Amino acid sequence: MNKIIQSGLLCFVMLISSCSLFEPDNFDAPDVALEGQVVDILTGKPVLTDQGSEGIRVRLTELSWGDNVEPNPDFYCMPDGTFRNTKLFKGNYRITVDGPFIPLIREDEDGRELADESIVMDLQSDHQIKFEVQPFLHVEWVGEPTVENGKIIAQVKVSRAVSPEDFRTKVEPMGNYNDDFLNMTDIQFFVSYSSSVGYRARDERWSSRVDYSGNSFDQLFGETITLESNGEIPAGRTVFIRAAARINYDTPAGSGTKRWNYSEAKEVLVD
Amino acid sequence: MNRKRFLSIWTIIAGAACMCLNACVDLDITPKNVVADDDVLSTDAGVNIYMARMYSLMPFEDFKYTAQWGFENNGWLNSAGIEGTGEAVNREGLSAAFTSERTPYWNKGFELILEANYLLENLPNFKENFSEELYNHYLGEAYYARATAFYTMAKRFGGIPLVTKVIPYPASSEEMEVPRATEEETWDQILEDFDQAVELMMEESPIEGYSNKYVALAFKSEAMLYAGSVAKYNQDVSGRLTGLGRKTGVRVIGFDATTWQTASIRYFTEAYKAAREVMQDGGYSLYKKRWTADDPEAQYQNMVDMFSDLSSPENIYVKQYIFPTTTHAFDAYNLPFTFRAPLASGTCPTLDFIELFDGFDRYPDGSIRVTNGDQNASGNYLMFDSPLDFFKDAEPRLRAYVIFPSDEFRNKQIDVRAGVYIGDTPIKPFFSNYAYNTADTRYQNLSIYNGSSKSLYLSPREGGSQEIVDYNGKQMTAAGQEGPFYDNGEATVTGLYLRKWLNTDPNAEGGEGKSAQPFILMRYAEVLLNAAEAAIELRLADATSPDGSDFLQVATDAVNEIRERAGANLLQGTLTADIDGRNTVRKERRKELAFEHKSKWDIRRWRVAHYEGRDGFWGETRDKNKFSNNENYRFRGLYPFFSTKTGKYFFDARFQWVASKTYGYTPLNYYFEIPGGEVAKSAVIDQQPNR
Repeated sequence: MNKIIQSGLLCFVMLISSCSLFEPDNFDAPDVALEGQVVDILTGKPVLTDQGSEGIRVRLTELSWGDNVEPNPDFYCMPDGTFRNTKLFKGNYRITVDGPFIPLIREDEDGRELADESIVMDLQSDHQIKFEVQPFLHVEWVGEPTVENGKIIAQVKVSRAVSPEDFRTKVEPMGNYNDDFLNMTDIQFFVSYSSSVGYRARDERWSSRVDYSGNSFDQLFGETITLESNGEIPAGRTVFIRAAARINYDTPAGSGTKRWNYSEAKEVLVD
Repeated sequence: MNRKRFLSIWTIIAGAACMCLNACVDLDITPKNVVADDDVLSTDAGVNIYMARMYSLMPFEDFKYTAQWGFENNGWLNSAGIEGTGEAVNREGLSAAFTSERTPYWNKGFELILEANYLLENLPNFKENFSEELYNHYLGEAYYARATAFYTMAKRFGGIPLVTKVIPYPASSEEMEVPRATEEETWDQILEDFDQAVELMMEESPIEGYSNKYVALAFKSEAMLYAGSVAKYNQDVSGRLTGLGRKTGVRVIGFDATTWQTASIRYFTEAYKAAREVMQDGGYSLYKKRWTADDPEAQYQNMVDMFSDLSSPENIYVKQYIFPTTTHAFDAYNLPFTFRAPLASGTCPTLDFIELFDGFDRYPDGSIRVTNGDQNASGNYLMFDSPLDFFKDAEPRLRAYVIFPSDEFRNKQIDVRAGVYIGDTPIKPFFSNYAYNTADTRYQNLSIYNGSSKSLYLSPREGGSQEIVDYNGKQMTAAGQEGPFYDNGEATVTGLYLRKWLNTDPNAEGGEGKSAQPFILMRYAEVLLNAAEAAIELRLADATSPDGSDFLQVATDAVNEIRERAGANLLQGTLTADIDGRNTVRKERRKELAFEHKSKWDIRRWRVAHYEGRDGFWGETRDKNKFSNNENYRFRGLYPFFSTKTGKYFFDARFQWVASKTYGYTPLNYYFEIPGGEVAKSAVIDQQPNR
């Protein structure tokens, strides 16, 4: 019996001898909140987007860890162009956003940095930040949508939010410049039961789109364009609609993702 | 002091001694139980053991490989062509586009590279122990293994760390850390290693299972075709799909704007030369043991047999299995529903896939005709006495790959029926719209099924859950014994079953670990197709023929040789040096090499999986908006229905009905993410720059 107790004690002493017994081995829970918004530098209006990897990507890199750091897991802006992360560790961060606007980090073909408009800051307490960017397009509703035979007819106006000259000045040094980048390629008309309507939350049955080849849209900038939904939406239902347009340029460069600029969502009663 | 206390003191002392005395003297004696170079690398038998280990690390995509999971070597739920290639779909979550692997091929790759490098560095110490021929062959095997590892990594990641020597350990981080090379350097290294292997290896494998000169040449042609395609078709992806690593500034993916063109021609030329050498000197030929001209039945049987006949002259490299020690479970997961043991229907071919084949009536847009209108939403359904009549002119090759509804398998008629229709004839199409955006409206949503005047019967599940219809005084189940059942994805989900690779023996015992069919990793048909594709690409680039042969003639002959064996229509005239000619070769490849873990790489290297390139997804040009929106794509099934009024069958072509799957792919996926841990722990390993 004694032997069991003694060898048990011996094991116990061995087990606890290697750790700092009375020091809590713990790290403060992440409690810093970062709120931000992405706005158009010219108008101050938020850059509307979609929630998902085709929207505005927020990337945080915690620089306090040294030179060789990988970014934190990415997250994405809410549809109104704002973001909030309330579970960040204290530290020194580089904060950058990618979306349907002139890239904040621009490098030339050889990887040399041309510009870096991302924000580097110490986050020891809650912060609010604002990114002022140059979105590619503005998409606005014109008038109120109408409903006819279960189809929604809405009118939008798409205009350039950044002048072709500005775009070229900033994008051309990045290499592989092509005049096609500025071409408007398509307008999406998203319809959904969900108020967070958009690329992800669209209803395939009713959403529609209009494609434009080459620079055929150039003379339509600022003009009123009529969009019509597909299929027949059952009467008596409330749906939400949203329009989105994009140019032939992917952000971040090389990702192959061409992001849309969005209009606001609108509620429509189908009767 | 009593005995007990004495003992426990001893215990404590002994314990203390164990802890204190564990670092005394260097025991500089070679342990007897460790096998050293002298033992392994000094005799042929020893090298044979070394080879066995090296080969056990080889990344073979066969019955033990699942695209979603990577090289995990267990074969769980193994099936073929379900990773968004369109060849097949199934009910499982692992039927998803090939955008990453759960176990990335990184660490395992470097293990194999180490084995190869070690052999290259240490075998020369024992050179005099071997005949010159075998000594060279062993070195060739090491180069071949290394080329295979590099190639397997490069097609996933682009530029990779080119570890070409044994890295000492422990050592300083400069000695141990190897950054990623450019993608072009990586493919050049692969080319060099394959060339070394080709030069050193014997013409015939000295031992069964070893590689040889022609195995290396065949895989070289495949690898170089991949490299040439990537160099060329990266240009078509927006942003040119290239970028520099953040840490090193090295072009880890894609090619430089000034070199891609020459690189592409260089790789295609190498692919062509390698394939031509196999064709001219390798002594291989297409399997035609049972083949007879103008006899579809014999041509079909011939192509069924060829996948299990180890003496086939077409086999270049085969992974063999032996019951009961090394087995797989392909039958257990992929047999038709009533054979299930313990699962079934893991590979359900799609209508889009069979549309590639000859022998069907078509609509003007090229899709398979099921009604007498000008598209499948118009006209009336075509009626057939038996579902097999629909396939009576189908290409024999297709029948060898796919079990048609009501066709025979293991002496049993495979009873596939989606439902029974009791309404009047002629029968109008069930849906007014078959477009992509209505794909989620299914047969069970139709008012003729769930409305007050029911004329369509379907079955949610098998057995007692089958709906029953009276027909000619007899009771008939709505769905066939082999499905499809709309609430049970365990039977076919497309109306079709796989035949290729399955054991055809009616007496075969079912169950996991009971299958021992070989997997053909490389066969002569692929070499022909490699030559044909490289030839067309070279002709498109106005390159000169390396051996004076006529590119277009070689390509035409290769395609015709395969078509003749397959029982398909031969080409009219020679192939042309344009996109049509190229697509003819691509389409032939999609058909011939289906379900062999090859198409997912073809789609990838042609850069046709993302929305902008998706018109070329099927090798031939098809309007992408018919099977995709700007994000996802999906595939169709072919569903046979029985009409009680006529006693005949008709077919409906509808997007996958049961366990409906969508697939998504963006240009990012053309280069897999480097494992995060590897990037985080190294100061030189770059993540993909576009991620």
